[in-house]
Parts: sequence; C-alpha cells; structure tokens
Amino acid sequence: MTDLSITQLPAARLNVLEIWSNPLAVLDRFKKAFGPPLPPLGSSLQLLDRQLIRYEPTVWLVEGETTGLAEVLGSDGSLTAIGGGIVRVRLSGAGWRSLLMEGGVFDAESETFAAGCSAATVIDHVNVRLLVESDDACLAYVPLSYAHDMIHFWTVAAQSLV
Amino acid sequence: MSGPRRGDDCGSIRFTFDGKELLARPGDTLAAALLANGIGLVARSFKYHRPRGIMAAGVEEPNALVTVGTGGRSEPNTRATDVFVYDGMVARSQNRWPNLAFDVGSVLGLAAKTLPAGFYYKTFFGSAKRWMFYEWFIRRAAGLGDAPSEADPDRFSQRAAFCDVLVVGAGPAGLAAALAAAEAGESVILVEQDSLLTPSLVRDPQELGPAWAQATAVRIRALGGRILLRTTATGYWDDNLITLSERLAEPGEQPPNGTAQRLWHVRAKRVVLATGALERPLAFAHNDRPGVMLSHAVRTYVRRFGVVPGQRVVIATNNDDAYLTAIALRDAGAEVVAVLDTRPAPAGASSGFPVHNDTMPLATKGARHHLREVSARVDGKIVRWQADLLAMSGGFTPVVHLHMQAGGAALNWDEASQSFLPGAARQSVTSIGAAAAADPVGPTPSPENPGKAFIDFQNDVSLGDVDLAWAEGYRSVEHLKRYTTLGMATDQGKTSNMAALGRLAEKQGVAIPEAGLTTFRPPYTPVTMGLLAGRTERDAGAHLRRLALYEVHQAKVPIWQPLGYWKRPRAYPQGTETLAQAALREARGVRQAVGMTDVSTLAKFEVSGPHAAALLELICATTVAKLAVGRGRYTFMLREDGLVFDDGTVWRLGEDRYLLTSSTGGADRMATHISYVRQFLCPQFKVSAVNVQEHYAGIAVAGPQAKAVLAALIGDEPPRHMSTTSATIAGLPVIVLAASYSGERAFEIYVEASQAEPVWAACEAEVIAQGGCLYGMEAMEFLRIEKGHLVVGGEIDGRLTPHELALGGMLNKADGFVGAAGLTRPALTQPGRKQLVGLEALAGTIPEGAMLITAPGQPAEGHVTASGLRVLDGGSIALGQLNDGFARRGELLLASSTTRGQSARVRVVAPHFYDIGGERYRD
Repeated sequence: MTDLSITQLPAARLNVLEIWSNPLAVLDRFKKAFGPPLPPLGSSLQLLDRQLIRYEPTVWLVEGETTGLAEVLGSDGSLTAIGGGIVRVRLSGAGWRSLLMEGGVFDAESETFAAGCSAATVIDHVNVRLLVESDDACLAYVPLSYAHDMIHFWTVAAQSLV
Repeated sequence: MSGPRRGDDCGSIRFTFDGKELLARPGDTLAAALLANGIGLVARSFKYHRPRGIMAAGVEEPNALVTVGTGGRSEPNTRATDVFVYDGMVARSQNRWPNLAFDVGSVLGLAAKTLPAGFYYKTFFGSAKRWMFYEWFIRRAAGLGDAPSEADPDRFSQRAAFCDVLVVGAGPAGLAAALAAAEAGESVILVEQDSLLTPSLVRDPQELGPAWAQATAVRIRALGGRILLRTTATGYWDDNLITLSERLAEPGEQPPNGTAQRLWHVRAKRVVLATGALERPLAFAHNDRPGVMLSHAVRTYVRRFGVVPGQRVVIATNNDDAYLTAIALRDAGAEVVAVLDTRPAPAGASSGFPVHNDTMPLATKGARHHLREVSARVDGKIVRWQADLLAMSGGFTPVVHLHMQAGGAALNWDEASQSFLPGAARQSVTSIGAAAAADPVGPTPSPENPGKAFIDFQNDVSLGDVDLAWAEGYRSVEHLKRYTTLGMATDQGKTSNMAALGRLAEKQGVAIPEAGLTTFRPPYTPVTMGLLAGRTERDAGAHLRRLALYEVHQAKVPIWQPLGYWKRPRAYPQGTETLAQAALREARGVRQAVGMTDVSTLAKFEVSGPHAAALLELICATTVAKLAVGRGRYTFMLREDGLVFDDGTVWRLGEDRYLLTSSTGGADRMATHISYVRQFLCPQFKVSAVNVQEHYAGIAVAGPQAKAVLAALIGDEPPRHMSTTSATIAGLPVIVLAASYSGERAFEIYVEASQAEPVWAACEAEVIAQGGCLYGMEAMEFLRIEKGHLVVGGEIDGRLTPHELALGGMLNKADGFVGAAGLTRPALTQPGRKQLVGLEALAGTIPEGAMLITAPGQPAEGHVTASGLRVLDGGSIALGQLNDGFARRGELLLASSTTRGQSARVRVVAPHFYDIGGERYRD
C-alpha cells in the first residue's frame, strides 16, 4: 500500500460567500480590508484566521472567521452558513493524487493542481470540493450524508494503490 | 511422435485442469502449461462439440476457452492463452459431459448436416406456445461455460487518468514511440495486454532484445511515464477517451490487495496504436483438430515458454514468416517433415526444408483427439505425412479495431498483404508498426471440402456455412454475420473475419473491400461484467446517504427504509411488534400525545438578498412577498407547462432572508430548478440561493403535547402555527418552524447537522416525559393520508394542475410565477382530467396502487396514490386520482389491484379525513 492516510477533521465553520453585483467594487473593498485580492477561480487564499476558496464564478467557500466580510459585501452579496452539512477529510501522504483518481473524473495528478489550488468535482458519484494543502496533503469537503461511505471508499481504494 | 513436450524443468507452480494436478513454470500461460504437460485436447466447440486444442498464443485464441477459479471468482470463457498460471489455480474445460475426452454432446457433430447455418431460424418457428417448448432446449444448449452462482467477493476499481500520449501495445514499435514521447517531455501512458514488454522480441530475437526493452521501460518510467501490463484497451470513445481494462489479479486468483481489476478512463491528447497484427489460419478440411496451430503461436511456445508443441511438424503457409517457425522448431529438436507453400517455387537458394510449392493441406486426420496425419495434393498426387503438429499461416491482419472505433474514416485495402490498413482518422490517433503495415502473402486457395474447413472456430462456422448463407440469399456482410453467427461472442472474428470476407467477395464477384465490413464495436477483447458493474464500495450503483443522526437511530434498531438516495427509519418496533403494529402505535402516539421524527432529508434552500422574495415568487406559485418576518406558508412549484412538480413551505427568517423547504425525493430536481430560474430567468437579481439541505438536521415534534414539549425545550412560548422563531436547545442555536405534516400541532426544529445529537437527545427526553414516542416513515404516511397532505411522487406526480390538486385557491393572483403561462393552456381545462379525491372502503382494505373502476372489466378511471387507515378509529382510507373526481363524490367504485390480487369497494369522498377545519393547529 502506498503512503497515504485518510483523516476526518473536526467540524469547521464554513460559509458560502456569493457576489451578485458590482464585483469590482467588492474586490476593491476586500483588498482594502484584508490586503490580498479575492482568489481567482480554482484557487484559494489563506489568511490568518480564514481561508477563501473560489469554486464557482461568483462563489467562494469561506472556512473559519467571517468577521468583516459582511461589510465587504455590503448589498452586493451575502454569506450563508453551510458547515453543518460538510465533512472535511484530509488525504495525506504521497498517494493522495492517485487516490483522487479512483472513481474520479478530474486530473488530480496534474502538476498544475498544486498547493492552494481548488476544484469542485465528482468522485464515485459524490460531489466533492478539493483544496490542495501541500505536495503531501489535500483537503476534501464531502457532503455529510456521503462522508461515511466516501471515507470507507477511500480507505479500501487506498489498499490497492501501490 | 509424442505430441507437445517440454524439457526436464516442469516448474513448481501447482495447478489443476479438470481435477488433474499439474506443474507450471513462472510466466506460463495456462495454454503453455497444458502443452508442457502434454495436454493437447483443451475444449469442445460450441455447436458441434468438436474436440479442440490450442490454436493461438494470445487473446485471439478461439478454441481453448476454459473456466478458471472457483466460487464467486469463477470466470468462464477465459482463453487459456490469456491467463497466467498461479499457485493453486483451478481450471476446468467447458461444454462437455461427462468429460472432455468422452463428450456425449459430440453426437451433434455427427448430425452436423442437419444443423447448418441458420438452423434456429429454419427449425424453431411456429406459435408462441411452441417457442416456449423450444426455448427450454435452446437455453440448455446455448452458451459456453457456467456463470458463477455466487457473488464475486472482490473489488473492482474505476480510475481516471490524463496524458499527452497513450501508446497501446508495448511491442518494439510501441515501446519506441513511448520513449520518444517521454523524451520529448510528454506525459506518457503505455499499455500492454501481455505480462511482458515486447513479447515479440522473445519470439523473434533481434538485436533489440528483452534487455533493450527493460532499459527502455526504465527510461520511460524515469521520465514520468506510466507502464501498465496486463492491460487491454477495450474501447475508443469520443474526444480521445480510451477505456482500459487492467488485471490486478489473474482470473480466479485472490487479488493481493482485494481489487481484482481496474477500469481506466484515459483522456489522451493523442493516441498511438501499436496493436500489432493477428495471424490468419488457413481453411482446409478438419483444420480445427487439436495439433493444428498458428505458426506464430508455435514459435511463441517454443521460444518464450520452452514448449515444443509437436515433434513431427508440417508447416502450411502463404508467406515467408512461417519459415521462421520451421527454423525455431528445428532448433528445438523437432522434425519439419514438410513445408506446404501456396506460392510458386522461388528461384534461388533452398530453405533447407522439404518445401512443396503451389499447395496447401487438403485435410488432416487424427486419433484420440490428436493430429496424426496431414495430406496435400503435390504435383497432382495426394501425399500424406505422419505429423503431430501442423503450423499454419495465412498471412497477417493488422489490428485496426481501435482505429475504427476512434472514427477511422476509412480502411485502405492492401492487395499485397490481403489486409486492411488504417486510413485517415477523425481523432488524434496514429497507427504504427505491424498495426499499420503487413507483409505480402501468396494466394490462399479454396479448399476442396469447404464443409469441414472452419473459418470461425469458436462458432463452428465453416466456409460451407458461408456458401450456404449466400445460396439462401444473404448478401450483406451484416446479414451473413447474423445468419451464421460468424465473428460473434468472445472471439469477435479476430481470426475469421478476413476469411469470411474473402469468401463473400468471391461469391459476389467483387474485390474484398467491396464486400463491406461489419461494425467494430467495443470491446474487441472481452471484459468481465465485474469490471463494468462489479461491487465497489456501494451496493446499488450509488452510495446511500446517511442521516446525520444515523447512529442515534441505529441504536434503536429501527426498520430502515430506502427513500431516494436516503436510508430512513420506517418504524421503531418494540418487542415483537410487526411493522404495521409499530407504525400504528407510533401514529396513535402522535394523535394522542406527542411524537418526534427525523425530517433532515427535506430539501432546504436559504434565499437571501434584496430580490429574495422576487426570486421565490418566480419559483413558487403562491404569494411570498407579503409574508411578514417570522411567518411561513405552504407553497408549491410548477413546471413551465403549468403542472405541479413539488411542494413545501417558505419562511421569512429576516427582512431579506428566506428558507424554502421542499420534498426529499425532489431535492436535486428542485436545486436544478432554482439554479435555472436564478441563472437564466433572472440573472440580474441580487439574490443568493444556497442549498442547505445537509447543513441543517431536522426534527419534527407533533401531537397535542408538542407545544408543551417545545415550551420546555426552548423555555419560551413556542411560535404559533406557520410562524418561526430562533431559539436555543441544549445550548445550541436552532430554528423552530411551526408547521405540520400530521394534522396535529407540530414543530420542525432545525439545527446544524454536525451538532444534531444533543438537540435530538433533549427532544427525545422531553417527548418521552410527555408520554410520547418516536415515529418513522410508516406512521408519518398514515398521519398525512388521514389529514390529506400531498406527497411528491404520489399525489403530486407531475401530471396535475394546482386546480386538480385542490390547490387552485392558493395560486398567486398576480401570476408571474414559472408555469403561470402554461396553466392557461386549454388542454388543462378539458373534462375528463384526473383530480384529487379521497376514498373510503366500504369493507376491507384499499390496495395501494389499485386501479379505480366502475365495475370489473371496465377501463380504469383513476388510481389509488396512497392507502392508509383512520389512525384512531380504524377503517381503510386512501387518496387517489380520478377522472373528474371533484364531481364524483359519493360515487361507489371498485379499487382493484390485479398485481396484488386484491380489491375493495370504495366511496369517493373529499381528500380530508381528519380535522377538516384545522382546529388542532390552533392553541
């Protein structure tokens, strides 16, 4: 079996940040409030107390603190809590890329899918969001109702990766 | 003559064939191991049960089909040439009784003249009743091998991969192409269905030998390339998607890591096909006898496996390649007694073998299922040779099936090699090596006795069968294929198609390319059903979704019920209670005291923003904008055609913040609908609609004591019916919605799913304290039917308008909602359309799903959508859809279910049986 561990992380505070109007103004306000710009599609931004991951053209997943974001959004967007329904699973070790190809359709083996990159994809028929933490770890955001089966799926699949 | 033999080293791997213990060397195919053990008779043919041996050395083997493995791992129709022997392998011959050497079924061969091509079509006709009689015999006779009766215990994996270049075939050409691509900086996947790289270099040693192959493989891997052995490209699909079948364990073998096979979906920027060529047999009488083999195969057994398949050998050929086999056999100590070459004698040096030109075998004879004699007409006289091996070569057919599956625009006919070569390609694919060119061949004379000259060995199709099909009017190659079964089954015509095309062209009086081609369908080489649909980590094609409170429920040992993708408690039986008893007790508990149930699976959407109400007024057919903060209402949704497809509730949680709930089963559909409305109908809206189905776990508390339970839990006055409030339970924030699906005062409590357990525990403690109980789906069904609440998939089946569901009075008078225009269609107001009704039984039980008829034999005028009972009073009641149902209240009908064999007399009534005025919702 390849070097790989599958770890369910504690529940985290997760919010959907959606911008519906004046995106340039929101980006400007965000930069003024936090320094760096909002991350582009397929990418993420790690701040001290929060992480923002862009998965859709107008949608970011915010993990951690949301203080100040409502002010940034103003009347141009909203925050909605979704953390209760998502389980974070860390896939760590050299084999995480191969593991994500099992039942997958997304090229997790690509070198361009590097630390900080994100993706929304389907693995074994389940919608999963991915965030590359480092060369040796990737975080998967799995719907709560599928989490038990997905962790089992990955655990068994890992046994056949050599 | 002593038949096939091998040297003293018999190997140490133990396996059995038909119960006989044998030894094999590492790397042996089963075919090699059987030949090494002197076994030439391996199988019986499909139709005539003719004795068959080993003809080939690869996946093209048509004869030597065996069953490998036991129990759930048993794999029938495995080619003995395509399975590598492992310790403990159990292999069995097929299609014989009582044993391979003495097979009663071979009597069919004696009656071969009465079982020609098209035998089924000519014999088994007549009335359907007669067909039922024939079918039993046909099914008994049909098929090769037995499907395992046990489930396969192994796992089958599916995996994606992406690359710049996929090279199919690791012969010298493929390996070189893969190396070139890797050295050019491209990501490479190289696949080979054999267990060896460049097996042809073992068969035909050249300057670039196995050492070169190994060094090249090391280099490719070092450059990041991936090499997959025992992997077959099974299909070429659109956009350069290629499916691969990788064997991680041999057929029947227990896989070391639990996974037996892996199905790869490879998306490549370009594909290189180095799939080689297959040798063609020659057609002559009794060319199917054990001991008649393809020339390439003979050389492979000699050079790769150290097995000499025969000691006195006749070689028959129309090309130069077979002379290499003669040399290999001579070097291995066998005697080449004759080389029969269809070509004229060349001028120049002798080959050193007794060559006879302008001839080919007339026939073979055998004894005890072994080859004994080969005859040929030489210089006008019949000459016979005692021989135990006949190696034949009718030329080579490039393997072009992947090229054609890729949308190959054409195949180019090459007259010199008598084969089709890959032409232009529509996708990014090139063919190289033997897959793109073939050596010239000489003539292939027609046999004197076509009836026993087999071309499709697997399906027992001879040249005589092709002639018969032609004589009976089958002109198209596709018709010929179906009439004779040529090229079907696991073989897919690998060794037979060219011979058949040649014969058909001869009959048509045209060149072979004009005779037409059959379709190159995947898979060309068989894959197991397990690979495509075998057990992975889910039982039914998709994972079942677990409730956040799954473990809490499981501890109470409920009866689980699959509902959509979910698994939900159907009832919580106590002691020896049946489902019906438990459900009735639970429903009565709700009516008389209080009950609680898990409603987490309901679809939930949080809609926020200045245009939240406007979006919801598009999605919902009821008014929303006038809701006060803290209030909610029942709502329903229409498709564009004006028909109801879902229902739920909408709640105004804040000034610009709403919660929309809808049905569990329609959750995904509703998410799609909301996305459609948001993205396409009103992209300018300042609104966010987020699916929070999984974010919130839901607990419903219902019954006359529900208000008391809630008051105790939240320490405050609970909200009145169709109102909402935020509260704290067990120290956790919750949203309380005062809504009912039971006919009782009720509340839905929503809490972040990851924190649901303490809230559930607090609720349960209070419910029990109030004399209540848990209830499941079955009790919920009783309660909602009695109250007349609708369910999506039952009463709401996408065919009725709001008016027909008695919801018309709730429609938004301002229109503007999705479906408002569709509702105006005249067809929706025509008489005779279905309408929602209630039904009560005069006696007995109303069968669920029963048809509503006026009298036996009359057409159905409606159906029962859900059947239940009066929870406290007893008596069977139901909801249903009935033609013009509103106007038929009081009418007596028959609810008849022919599938259940049940019926009941029913009276049509209003679809409400309990608290019609809604008094029980009021405090």
